[in-house]
Amino acid sequence: MSGAGVTTPHFVGRRALILHRPDEAVARLERQLRVIGLEVEQRWAPLRPEERFDVVLVDADQGWNGLLPWPAEEARCPVVALLASEAPGRIAFAIAQGAGALIAKPVNAAAVYPALVLALYIFAERAAARAKIEALQERLRLRGAVLRAVDMIAARHCLDEEEAYRRLRRFAMDRRLTVEQAAASVLAGRSHLPEAG
Amino acid sequence: MTDPIRIGILYSTTGPYGAFGRDCTDGAVLAAEALNEEALKGRGLPVELVLADPAGEAGRYVSLARALLREKGCRHIVGTALSAARKDVTPLVEKHDALLWYLCPYEGFEANENIIYTGACPNQHLLPLFEHLIPRHGGRVFLLGANYVWGWEMNRLARELLDAAGGEVAGERFLPIEETEIGRLIAEIRAARPSFILNNLIGPSSYAFLAAMRALGREEPAFRPEACPVVSCDLTECELPEIPDGAGVGQLAAACWFDSLDLPESRAFRAQAAARFGAGRRFSSFFSGAYAAVRLCAEAIRAASTDEPAAVRRAVCGPVHPTVQGPIRIDPRTNHAALPFHLGRINAEGGFDVIASRPPVAADPYLTGVRSGSRIAAPTHLRVVS
Repeated sequence: MSGAGVTTPHFVGRRALILHRPDEAVARLERQLRVIGLEVEQRWAPLRPEERFDVVLVDADQGWNGLLPWPAEEARCPVVALLASEAPGRIAFAIAQGAGALIAKPVNAAAVYPALVLALYIFAERAAARAKIEALQERLRLRGAVLRAVDMIAARHCLDEEEAYRRLRRFAMDRRLTVEQAAASVLAGRSHLPEAG
Repeated sequence: MTDPIRIGILYSTTGPYGAFGRDCTDGAVLAAEALNEEALKGRGLPVELVLADPAGEAGRYVSLARALLREKGCRHIVGTALSAARKDVTPLVEKHDALLWYLCPYEGFEANENIIYTGACPNQHLLPLFEHLIPRHGGRVFLLGANYVWGWEMNRLARELLDAAGGEVAGERFLPIEETEIGRLIAEIRAARPSFILNNLIGPSSYAFLAAMRALGREEPAFRPEACPVVSCDLTECELPEIPDGAGVGQLAAACWFDSLDLPESRAFRAQAAARFGAGRRFSSFFSGAYAAVRLCAEAIRAASTDEPAAVRRAVCGPVHPTVQGPIRIDPRTNHAALPFHLGRINAEGGFDVIASRPPVAADPYLTGVRSGSRIAAPTHLRVVS
């Protein structure tokens, strides 16, 4: 009912960049962004790689590749697409810029806050998912090391595989390492498992 | 312009929350009568109100608003009490490039160009209410809400304000407007022992709750109003007669205006209202707010020499207008009025004793000041709690 879990986000002091030619709708958008608490810059020129904004609102009807300095789907901040068109190519452009939300043109003031909240949420969610995938990929990459470490422990201590793995895991937990890190450490000869346990 | 100014009046005067609508409609009618009398004397333009009454049926707001805009030639509607109805008619008002004059307290997080907000938003009611009550009663608050956007959003904000202020939610319940079976709720409150209760219920459920709280207070003094008050941001004089046996006496409500405030701007208005509606009637902030809104609307149309909404908005936003609720300034950034805060305690005479007041503050519908200021400041970054 009340969307438990997501606290009411606030935008006070955050910096928004509107990449759009100035017009009446953009003036309305600027006004609403300021009411919500953001500082706003508007222009119709590319975002430079060294520039930092907290959210970018980009004209997806007229925008071109290179307006935003990041490759497709690697947005460095939340992106909102401003879109009047239904043309699939324009929607694809919005997606490629990393848009997490869109505001239909002409801009309706009531659409601005929800779009910001959604874009921030999607951005945070994507970043969290990316970090998780990277961590899992790293663990996957080290799976072989775990197998070799278990073999090594089993041979050295005359244990079956299951017991060897249990030892490795306990060793990892004691040192607050992942099993993969512990395995790498054992294989590198940096660590020896305690005899008992 | 010589034709009368047509203003649509869209309120439910019957149904579970008819008391709001009756005060709003009566206030609007009184304003129109006063304006027409002045027009006869050559001052200002006559006004024609077009009354539309959805009778508390949620689905009828949109069809009646459409009729006002399309068939009755209204470009201005003073109306809707419940936020759910306001949100329902807003797209129509935008589509017809009309202006909605909304005068009730509401939950904030809106700043629509096609709406003039003369009712209070949370930095004008809920924040000062908490700042007044928490130091006096404590920060364990039981949250009660009507089961629609007002109750949901007010309770959500209350929860976040309490989190930020180191307070605590002692419990939370939502009730349908017409729910009057509240035995279990009272048992919960009794067990939770809150410092005070934030009552965002409306209509019959609220009246039944206040009656039950009085019974509880008689059984257990810790739940009397002076120890554990029930506080509200929308309970006004117009609803006090609906509460059985004066069960609300001693409880608290926040409002931008009370009948008992002795403002110089309110005296002639109160006499005029009493002459028209009877000396025994107490007038609420809904009544005076509707009166003020109709006058603001008519005077802005006159000043703009057109009823075209953008011109009227420019005329009404910016300068300070004298109104029966006191001087009002509408911020052109947000279309919201700066409003004072008054805390009233229900007395045995069907009115409120004002026990605390603060001067007008600008509306901050998105609560930007709370987050950047230091009082109840806390970083509330977007996060997902898994």
